[in-house]
Amino acid sequence: MNPNDFGNKMKPWLDRGAAAVGEMQATRLKSARLRAMDAYREPVRWLGLVTINAGTAQTLQYSVVQRVLLFLPIVALLAVLAIKSADEMDLGELDAQLLTQELPPDAFLDQDFRSWLGKPQG
Amino acid sequence: MSDFLASVDRRAFKQAVFAVRDDESALDIVQDAMMRLAEKYPDRPAAELPLLFQRILQNAIRDHFRRQKVRSTWTTLLSNLGLGGEDDADPLETLEVDEASNIPSSPAEQLEQSQVMAAIEEAVQGLPGRQREAFMLRYWEELDVSETAKVMGCSEGSVKTHCSRATHALAKVLRSKGITL
Repeated sequence: MNPNDFGNKMKPWLDRGAAAVGEMQATRLKSARLRAMDAYREPVRWLGLVTINAGTAQTLQYSVVQRVLLFLPIVALLAVLAIKSADEMDLGELDAQLLTQELPPDAFLDQDFRSWLGKPQG
Repeated sequence: MSDFLASVDRRAFKQAVFAVRDDESALDIVQDAMMRLAEKYPDRPAAELPLLFQRILQNAIRDHFRRQKVRSTWTTLLSNLGLGGEDDADPLETLEVDEASNIPSSPAEQLEQSQVMAAIEEAVQGLPGRQREAFMLRYWEELDVSETAKVMGCSEGSVKTHCSRATHALAKVLRSKGITL
C-alpha cells in the first residue's frame, strides 16, 4: 500500500482516539490552555512599527525596513546636533584666534579671508 | 492563539502519550509546550503556529526523555552506592505498570470500533520513536516532508525512510490482528 494512502486512512482513527480523551485529561488540557492564554499577550502594533508583548524585548520581531525606520529619528537628531556643534565650534575658534592674534600670517594673504573680514558682521 | 491551542491540545496530548506512555507526563509536556508557544511567539501569524508548536512539542518530549535519563542515571548510581531507598522504582517495573495502564477499561472501549482504535494506538505506540514522530507529523499533523524534516531536525530523505518503515510496520501489526483499514 502507498504510505500516503495508508497514512490518510489512519488519520480518522487517530482523530477518533484524540476525541475520546477522558474527561479528566480534557479538563486538565483546558486548564493548561487557559494558563497558556494567561501568559499570552496580544501584540500591540502602532503604525506597523512598535510591537509590545509580555514586556520581553527579545521576542520583538521587526523587518529590516522597520528597524531602519525605528532608528531614523535618532540618527537624524544626532546628525543635526553634530552639524550645529561643528558650526559653532568653527566660528568660536576663529573668533578666539582673531582676538588673541594667533592667526597665521598666511591667513591674511588669503583674498577671500580678507574680504570676509571686511564685511560687516551681522 | 486560543483557537489554535483548542484545535491541537488533544492531538498533542495523544502524541505525547504515544511517546512517553504516561498520561501525567504527557499532560505536563503539552502544558509546557503551550506555555512556551504563548510566551515566546505571541506575534507570529496563525499560519506559522502549527509548525512552531510541533517543534516545541517534540523538543519538550525529547527534554522529558533527557531528564528521565539523567534521573535514572542518578537512581542507578545511588542504588549502587546503597543510598537509594528500598521503594525506589525499578524502570522495568514502571514499564510493566505503564503497559498495564493501556488496557482498555472504559465501557466505550469495549465497542468494536474502540477496539480497533485501541489496536491502532497500541501499534503506533509500539513504533520506534523516530518512526512514530515522522508518521505522526506527516500523516496526522499533515506537515509536508520538508516541514517534518525541520521539526525533526533531520533530512527529508530520513523523513521519507522513517515514514515508509512506520507504515509498513503498522500495516503488518494491524494485519496480524485482522484489522484492515
